Amino acid sequence: MSTYKVKRRDFLKITGLSGASAALAACDMPTTVTLEEGKEDVVSYLMPEEYVIPGIGVWYASTCQQCDAGCGIIGRVREGRVLKLEGNPNSPVNQGGLCQIGQAALQTHYNPDRLQQPKLRKAGKLVDASWDEAFAAVTAAIGPDAGIDGSRVAWLSGTVSGHQRVLMDAVSEALGTSKHYAHEVLNDAVVDKVNAEIYGNANVRYNIAEAQSVLSFGADFLSTWGSSVHNSVQYGQFRDAPRGVLMQAEPKMTVTGASADLWLPVRPGAEGALAMTIAAELVAKHGKDVNVLPKAIADKLSDYGLTNAEEQTGVPADLIKKAAEFLAGRTPSLVLAGGPAAAHEHGYESVTAAAVLNVLLGNVGKTVTPVGDFPLPALAPKKGDTAQLAAFADAANADDVSVALIVGTNPVYTASADLDVAAALGKVNTKIAFAEFIDETSALADIVLPLHSDLESWGTHVASYQPTEPMISLQQPLMEPLYAETRAFGDVLLDIMKLFNAEQYGLFADYYAYLRNFANGLGEGEAFWQAGLQKGSFVVSAVEEAPSIELNVATAESEESAEAEGIAEDAATFVFALPEFEKDNDFPLTLVPAATGRLGDGRFANLPWLQEAADSISKVVWNSWVEMHPATALRFGIKQGDKIRVSSKSGDAEALVYLHKGVNKDTVAVPMGQGHTDYGRYATGRGVNPMKMVATATDAATGELAFCATAVSVEATGRNEELVKLGGSESQVGRKLVGTITADQFRRI
Amino acid sequence: MTYGPFSKKASQSNSKAVSHLNRVLVILGLMLCFIAGVAQAEVPNAVPPKGEHKGVDVPQPIEFPHNIHVKDNKINCMYCHTYARRNNGAGIPPTSKCMGCHTVIATDKPRIKKLTEYWQKGESPKWKKVHDLPDFVHFNHEKHLNRFIFNNEGMTVERADEVCAFCHGEVKEMTVAHKVKPLNMGFCQRCHEANDGPSDCWKCHK
Repeated sequence: MSTYKVKRRDFLKITGLSGASAALAACDMPTTVTLEEGKEDVVSYLMPEEYVIPGIGVWYASTCQQCDAGCGIIGRVREGRVLKLEGNPNSPVNQGGLCQIGQAALQTHYNPDRLQQPKLRKAGKLVDASWDEAFAAVTAAIGPDAGIDGSRVAWLSGTVSGHQRVLMDAVSEALGTSKHYAHEVLNDAVVDKVNAEIYGNANVRYNIAEAQSVLSFGADFLSTWGSSVHNSVQYGQFRDAPRGVLMQAEPKMTVTGASADLWLPVRPGAEGALAMTIAAELVAKHGKDVNVLPKAIADKLSDYGLTNAEEQTGVPADLIKKAAEFLAGRTPSLVLAGGPAAAHEHGYESVTAAAVLNVLLGNVGKTVTPVGDFPLPALAPKKGDTAQLAAFADAANADDVSVALIVGTNPVYTASADLDVAAALGKVNTKIAFAEFIDETSALADIVLPLHSDLESWGTHVASYQPTEPMISLQQPLMEPLYAETRAFGDVLLDIMKLFNAEQYGLFADYYAYLRNFANGLGEGEAFWQAGLQKGSFVVSAVEEAPSIELNVATAESEESAEAEGIAEDAATFVFALPEFEKDNDFPLTLVPAATGRLGDGRFANLPWLQEAADSISKVVWNSWVEMHPATALRFGIKQGDKIRVSSKSGDAEALVYLHKGVNKDTVAVPMGQGHTDYGRYATGRGVNPMKMVATATDAATGELAFCATAVSVEATGRNEELVKLGGSESQVGRKLVGTITADQFRRI
Repeated sequence: MTYGPFSKKASQSNSKAVSHLNRVLVILGLMLCFIAGVAQAEVPNAVPPKGEHKGVDVPQPIEFPHNIHVKDNKINCMYCHTYARRNNGAGIPPTSKCMGCHTVIATDKPRIKKLTEYWQKGESPKWKKVHDLPDFVHFNHEKHLNRFIFNNEGMTVERADEVCAFCHGEVKEMTVAHKVKPLNMGFCQRCHEANDGPSDCWKCHK
């Protein structure tokens, strides 16, 4: 047998040469497969605008509708299709930025699971119907000739504002009902109440950029709390020289926590105690005047100190000391609270304790400025919360609701385990859902009216958080509707109103005409409207004078005057009891359902871009996980990737464990947003929904769901799987890819 | 001199449809064109790409006579294909542009009547694409026109059709367009080499 010897080097030369010649020869190969002639239609424009050039996009301004922050967007439209969204640089809210959820609005719009046809329930099943049939069914259910008691009709919505709210209120008035329940799991209800009582108005402007130090109790202001894109722009300025110091106290590390200089792993529910300890430290060591505080709080201050702080709060005393030093030394400072800090039975007290830190530190009027109510109250947002959902369920269970009009909320999915919204809806005779998708709630409806996507609709909106002057954001469609049998929500409302008041509402051909009519009242002429369209918003010139920034707190010195305003009485009832951590051996840990800037409260789980975007902390994609401190895992004999069962008295769920030191040791965190049972091809059957383990405990002062107050146990199931995430290794394996120094070294710099 | 083959291709592809008389006319035209080609100066600073392709007949909703518009009436290619100098695609002219002339010109002709019908219905004809490239190839008309016409010393806009003919053949001799150039990578690559065009892969494949 002869051998043909080719050296490795020669072999490479030969293959290289033949490869090159093959490539060159291929250049002239007949390419009939890809070069088609006469296969594709090219339809020219009929009569394009002058500036339209095929292939070159034109950007139009609108307003993002993924959440209620009201970020201005611009959308690139080419050949009649919207292809890309960016932040509108002219918007004072987001100043050109746009978060990943906003970017993914395109996938809401082009989603293959979008409802294209109205549906009616026939013989127990939802079947396709024409728009006319479906609207006739709506007319029969709630129209003037429906013969129903109009006061038994209820709106069940998300946060709504602008003219959608105006028309919803008009429908309510025409029916004679006062039932409008707005529901959002992630809400500001507790913070708003505290702001109103401490600063005098629920609407407060936070100036992060001006602050030199920021302490945030659970408020993930860079990702899920407040106007996060606006906050991020401010944060950039805050970190410019002189570099502000960021401190974050929370049971589970968030994006904001990961950015912080000082991260305080507080026990869930102990945020108030931590704030009080810091306040006591500020008074004792940094000469802050206790007399500026409300008397009820000032009296409680002596109960708190560094000695037993770690036992109470889970935060080491030296970190608390450090935080107080930063706050006292770097002024003006800013203290924020929200998210998990508010989601406890004493959430109201915790947030109040954080707010009085601002009073103690003299931040009010500097970094915390109360602003007035929106000048046009009819357009102001009706904010959703969980107390209103509970109220809806009570009303429905008491047979007080015969027709439910559901829009922009999915309570069957987001309600806590003990609140059976599906059963409550079962008591409602007719459920009409206005929806872009079938989700857990609209699947239970009797009539489903498919809506235009937000990129196909007109609308006006008032952001829940107005960072500058009062402003109405304008939503203009970025393209023609994709489907023939969908309608814009505004147009549907207008059609309903025409049933009741054809004379007045019949003047408007469509919702666009209705909005134009309103705009004419704001400012005259076509130029005004066009300017608004280009900018994406109308500034509402301050109708009222800027509200005073006078403190509304009952201080120990001014108790008398405050009593007249009825504040001191409230303040006296503040409960700053030491948080009691039940030593329940059956359920030793606390569950934190963690909001993320990807899936939000679950409404974005059907967007593949957000499913595949790695979680900022765990890097997990397309699934749920249980986040746990390594020390806790050791206590329960659990390893990374173990499939464990998390159980509360109300429910349980199984997911893989992700070990991370950014979790309080008494806590397990499960991200919100997954575990859908009926929400399209991308979301259904993926991961677990932590809300279905949450017991219905509420904050005493506001009735808000205390969703971070559920005791749980964990047990291994004996299975261990690979957790699918970007970045397989948590360690650089000594390669020094990113240079690091320890926190101690950093503090010495 | 390269005009001969172009004209030959054009006449070949039309031959099925034309009568004997027309054929004579076409041959005459071909000869004229050849002479004109020889007499006229070449496009300066350019080596036209070589390569031939025998395109198939592409029936269009309206048989558009390029020859009448370009050869007889001397309309510049870019008058209708106005997007060519502005962007990647040359584009089919908007129907409003057709009607700009044809509300008054040749309104009695069957093809114009058909066009007017479309216009009155508010529709554009569904033209069929003749010159297609695979999705992974990015061709930019604007850059090529800048190189060979607008930023080309000694070249005038009036002669744009000679540059268009590099890749599209003698369209002015055709009724509906035919593909007479291969438009494959070898064709592009040889022209890029001869005219100092970029040879980075990502210039076209991005």
